[in-house]
Amino acid sequence: MKKETSSEEVTAANEAPASTTRRRFLGSGLAASAGAVVAGSSAATALATAAESAGDEVLEIPASNKILGRGVVTVPYGLPSKFEADVVRRNVEWLTPDRAASISFTPLQDLHGIITPGGLHFERYHAGAVDIDPATHKLAIHGLVEKPLLLTVEDLRRLPSHTAIHFLECPANGAMEWRGVQMDSVQFTHGMISCSEWTGVKLSTIMEMVGVKPESTWFYAEGADGSALQRSIPLPGAKDQFGKPLPEFDQNEIHKDVMIAYAQNGEALRPENGYPIRLIVPGCEANMSIKYLRRIKFTTKPLVTYQETRHYTDTTDDGRIRQFTLVNEANSVVTFPCPDKHLTTPGYYEIRGLAWTGRGKVAHVDVSTDGGKNWKEAKLVQPVMNKCLTKFTFDWDWDGKEHIIMSRVTDETGYVQPTLKQLREARGLNSLYHKNSIQAWRVLATGEVENVQLPTV
Amino acid sequence: MSNSPLSKSIKTLLTGLIPAVALASAVSCAGTSGEQDKKSESEDTPKITGVGTPIKESQLAKWDISVFFDGDNLPPGKGTLTEGEEIYQAQCAMCHGEFGESVRGYPKMLGGSMEEYIETAKHNENNVAIRGINNHWGHAPTLWDYIHRAMPFFAPQSLTVDQAYSVTGYVLYLAEVTDGSVEEIDADFIKSVKMPAADLYYTDTRPDVHNKRCMKDCYSGEPEIVAKQIKGNVSVGDVDK
Ligand code: HEC
Repeated sequence: MKKETSSEEVTAANEAPASTTRRRFLGSGLAASAGAVVAGSSAATALATAAESAGDEVLEIPASNKILGRGVVTVPYGLPSKFEADVVRRNVEWLTPDRAASISFTPLQDLHGIITPGGLHFERYHAGAVDIDPATHKLAIHGLVEKPLLLTVEDLRRLPSHTAIHFLECPANGAMEWRGVQMDSVQFTHGMISCSEWTGVKLSTIMEMVGVKPESTWFYAEGADGSALQRSIPLPGAKDQFGKPLPEFDQNEIHKDVMIAYAQNGEALRPENGYPIRLIVPGCEANMSIKYLRRIKFTTKPLVTYQETRHYTDTTDDGRIRQFTLVNEANSVVTFPCPDKHLTTPGYYEIRGLAWTGRGKVAHVDVSTDGGKNWKEAKLVQPVMNKCLTKFTFDWDWDGKEHIIMSRVTDETGYVQPTLKQLREARGLNSLYHKNSIQAWRVLATGEVENVQLPTV
Repeated sequence: MSNSPLSKSIKTLLTGLIPAVALASAVSCAGTSGEQDKKSESEDTPKITGVGTPIKESQLAKWDISVFFDGDNLPPGKGTLTEGEEIYQAQCAMCHGEFGESVRGYPKMLGGSMEEYIETAKHNENNVAIRGINNHWGHAPTLWDYIHRAMPFFAPQSLTVDQAYSVTGYVLYLAEVTDGSVEEIDADFIKSVKMPAADLYYTDTRPDVHNKRCMKDCYSGEPEIVAKQIKGNVSVGDVDK
């Protein structure tokens, strides 16, 4: 019997990381009591299981101790454990008419650090993902420059490299929650954000190479996919189409961190994220970080593209439309507990979450467990970096009663994340984009967690 | 250097005979495109020369199709409303609707009136679904640019310049921005069209919300708590996108 099990294991292992033996083992009550309580199972069941296992049972040797495992390169490009099959990007079918002009969400509830694995980075397409051969791809840099240049991917890889960890956030992150509670899942309320280590060439390096003329006050970038997406990015002196200057920060700070990336988390970009090269405009709405980048042109005015007039502009309740709302203001969310990750038994829990700001670094995160009446400062997990996700933790002894948990970030400019009430008062209910208000989760006595809003405080 | 210095030195390392430093140098020799340590900027940092190919603007004629809000870079050419209708009904109506009313959730060409849009915004009635070309676009040349570069969705950049003039003219008419009295559509016509929403746009005024970092007794009494009405991960019905 033992022999059979082990050969079955090895055979299965050679095909894929599958093992029926392990599944049987983990299916036992013993494993469940060890904390493998999946989201969705009620806390009552969990409590019962925990009580059962408190006997005198002598633990058996795990089956995995008694087999030979898989050899090297059985899986040449490593994949997550099959027990993590639930950790995937998800989309919301009713949100968009077509998957090629749609969005998927990062499963924040299952991520433990600030880096989003490449395969879980949220996707946003305007004409689907394309496969572009880096050997033939070209990037043109032209317009108000001394020396227009055509660069290949190989050229870019020769240049002084720049590596930095930055988040990318779709300005529609949270959009579905402006009018009320819709999504009982942190993946859907906040999953339009991901964070990666990007490697590439700084825009400033390229600007020096082509000799950008001083009269340039904008540049625009364009992609090589079917949407040929294009966005205008301000430089010092940038004015809008009416001649009004852009905010100081937008004119002077945004461009400094801009880069052309060819790598993400140490490997080539993923096709979903713009392979072979993309623009990264740190801190700004991710739509500006043009994927499949093929052209940059320096100009004296913005294009005012489709994405800068019909979308990614914010309807305010004075009946007007706010444009060039480029920076993602400070935001935070508790990722544990959350509607996707319930509590089991009363006692100690580490509350965890993520905070970020497009205007630099996170300075403080405060956590409330009483619906925002009282707050205590959370610990920031180092490193805390510029325009990057910051993880925070907060020690909590759950008394088994109902609580409303919230997090609130303050960034280094002193900006404090607003309440939903403040945001609605300032902008109304039709704004859609840039919803960065404090998120509330209600922990029920059963340990279940639900999405709630506190519209009056 | 031989072809497999990396695998060879890993083998040696695995048997515990060579220090990690040697492995590191073997890795860079193997050309795995490892990042070079950033040298601090100094006088003798070499200038970047010999990278990239100089190119003339004229070589980018087919690439540089971007049209500015004011119509700069609109190419020469012309179309007609009649041809625009033919193209639209054959290549666009299946998604955007025969009258621009939208089919299966694709974007509308004709949204609610400008008045309806402004009133709903002011009274916080959901106006996401009534957005369209007639109430949420600042400049007609942007519309030409977008149709020319991205539509029809299934075959982007398949329209000729003349066809793009024709169908943009027709879409403006469908969206009730123009009255259809001008048959010939060219750059001058597109530039002359004033979009109804043109004056509604204003550039970012954020931060517009100023919260305070209150730590204790931040409010009194019991707050109203709104939870989801429908269980499950996603509710249905009237939804903001
Ligand atoms: C297969 C469906 C499909 C067809 C056919 C199609 N479109 Fe589109 N259209 C779309 C989608 C999807 C979008 C939104 C793209 C996005 O979200 O980035 C869109 C957006 C647009 C918009 C922007 C509308 C707005 O206000 O947001 C215009 C204008 C447009 N299309 C015009 C056209 C024209 C003209 C044609 C025919 C030449 C055409 N479309 C054919 C699917 C289609």
